Amino acid sequence: MANTFTRTLAALTGLLMFAAIYMTFVFVPTEAEQGIVQRIFYFHVPCAWVAFAAFGIVAISGIFYLWLGGQIWDDLGYACAEIGMVFCTLVLVTGSIWARPIWGVWWTWDSRLTTTLILWLLYGGYLMLRAMAGDSPQVARFAAVIGIVAAADVPVIVVSVRLWRTIHPAVLITKQGEHGLTDPRMVATLLVALAAFTALFAWLLLIRFASLRTRSRLAALERELNLAEAAAGDL
Amino acid sequence: MDNLGYLGAAYAIIFGVIFLYVIFIQRRQAKLDERMRALEARLAEVRDDLRRRSAG
Amino acid sequence: MRARPIAPIIFLRILAPERADPPMAGFAAVLRKDLTLELRGGESTLALVALSILILIVMVFALDPAGGAADAPIAAGALWVAMIFAGMAGAARTVLAERDNGCIRALYLSPLDRGALFLAKLAAASIFMIVAEAAVVLMLVLFFNLDFDLRLARMLPALALGLIGFAALATLLAAISGRVHAGDLLMPLLAVPMYVPALIAGVKASAAALGGAPWSAMGQWLRIMIAFDVLFVAAGFILFEHLLDED
Repeated sequence: MANTFTRTLAALTGLLMFAAIYMTFVFVPTEAEQGIVQRIFYFHVPCAWVAFAAFGIVAISGIFYLWLGGQIWDDLGYACAEIGMVFCTLVLVTGSIWARPIWGVWWTWDSRLTTTLILWLLYGGYLMLRAMAGDSPQVARFAAVIGIVAAADVPVIVVSVRLWRTIHPAVLITKQGEHGLTDPRMVATLLVALAAFTALFAWLLLIRFASLRTRSRLAALERELNLAEAAAGDL
Repeated sequence: MDNLGYLGAAYAIIFGVIFLYVIFIQRRQAKLDERMRALEARLAEVRDDLRRRSAG
Repeated sequence: MRARPIAPIIFLRILAPERADPPMAGFAAVLRKDLTLELRGGESTLALVALSILILIVMVFALDPAGGAADAPIAAGALWVAMIFAGMAGAARTVLAERDNGCIRALYLSPLDRGALFLAKLAAASIFMIVAEAAVVLMLVLFFNLDFDLRLARMLPALALGLIGFAALATLLAAISGRVHAGDLLMPLLAVPMYVPALIAGVKASAAALGGAPWSAMGQWLRIMIAFDVLFVAAGFILFEHLLDED
C-alpha cells in the first residue's frame, strides 16, 4: 500500500518535473531585460518555497512533540529540517549564480539573501545538534525547542534585515500591485515548477520520513531485545 | 546569450544536489536494513535459546 | 567567623529579598544563591570582564582605528563583538555551574517553577554581563578616544536591551549545550544566528548614538530589540521546563 503510494508520487514528481523543465527551456519566452539567465528564477522560487514550507513544518512538529509527545513528531521534524536545508542550500546557490551576471556580484548583503543565509545557519545549527547529540528523547526535546524558537525568531530577523538594507527584485508583487511576470506563459511555467517541486518535496519527505520511522522502531526493538537477553541471562 | 553557462550550472547543481540527497537517503536506509537483519538474527537466537531451555 | 562585607549583602537584600511573595520565592532564592556564590570568589564575572577586554583589544588590532569621528561605527561594532563572544563563554556559566558542581539534579527534583528558575538564571547572567559591559564601555572610551558625554549615555538603552536578550538566549541554550556531547561547540552555532536581529539593531543603534544622532534615529532599532527580548524571555519562560526534564 505505502509502496504503491510512494511509487505513484515518484511518477507524478517525474512527470511534473519533466513538464517544468520543458516549459522552462522551450515553452517560456526569454525575459527582455535579463535574458536567458532569468530562467533560473523558475526553479529558484520553488526551491525557496519548499525550504520555507519545510522549516515551517519543523516548528509545527516541534510544538506537537512537546505537546503530545510521540516519536513520530520528532521524526517528521528531523526529516523536514534535513530537506529544508537541502533546498535552502539550492536557493542560495542558484541565487548566487543568477546574481553574478545580473548584479555583477556573487553575493550581496541584500535583505532576502541575508535572511536566507541566516535561516541556513539556524537550521544548520539544528542539524548539527542532532548529528552531535545522537538520538534520545532528551535530544528530541532539545531539537523541538530549537525548531520552535528558530521559527519564532524568523519574523524578527526578516524585519531587522529589511530595515538594514534591501535591493532584491520584487518579482512577484511590485509596489504598484502588478507582478513582474509580463507574459502569461511565465506565470504558467512558474506554477508548473511550483507544483513539480511541491511533489518532489512530498516524495522526499515520504521516503526520508519512512526511513526515520523504521530507525526509531528499530532502536526501540533493539532496546527491548537487550532487556530480554539480559533477563534470559539471569534465568 | 553568453550567459548560458550560468543557466546550465544552476540547473546542473539543482538536479545534482537532489540526486546526491536521494543517494544519501538510500545509503542510510541500506544501513538500517543491515541493522534489521542483525536484529532478526539475534531474535532467532533468543528464540532458539528459549526453546532449548523449555525442552531441556 | 569571617567578616562579611556589608555593601554586597545590602545589595543582595534589595535585589533578592529573603521574604518574597510565594510565586517568586524560588526566583529570589536561586538568584540570591547565584549572587552569593559569585561574590564569594565566583569566576564568571571576572572571566567575562577579562575576555571582553581581550576581544576589544583584538578588535583594535584588527581594525586599527584611525582616531576621530569616523571611529564611532567601528567602536560600536567592536563593543558588540566583545559582548557576544565573551557572553557566549560567560553568560551561560550560571546554568553550567549547576552541572559542574552536581547541583542540577537537585534543581530538577525541586518543586521550583521552571519559569522562575529560568528568570533567576537570566537575572544572574544579566547582572554578570552588566558588570562586564561596564568595564568594556570604559575600555572602549579609552581605546577609541571617545568622550564621557551624552552620546555614551544614549548608547545605554541599546546596550541594556541587547544584554538582556543575549542573557536570555544564552541561558536557554546553556540548558542544551551543558547536557550534550561537545555542547560548547554547539553553543555559538545556535546562538549567533538566533541573535542576528538584536545584533543588527544593537550595532546600528550604538553607532547612531556614538555618532551623535538624535533619539529618533534609534527608535526603530530599539523596537526590534524590545521585540527580540520579549520573544526570548517568553520562550525561555515557557520552554525551559522541556529542556530540564529528565528521561
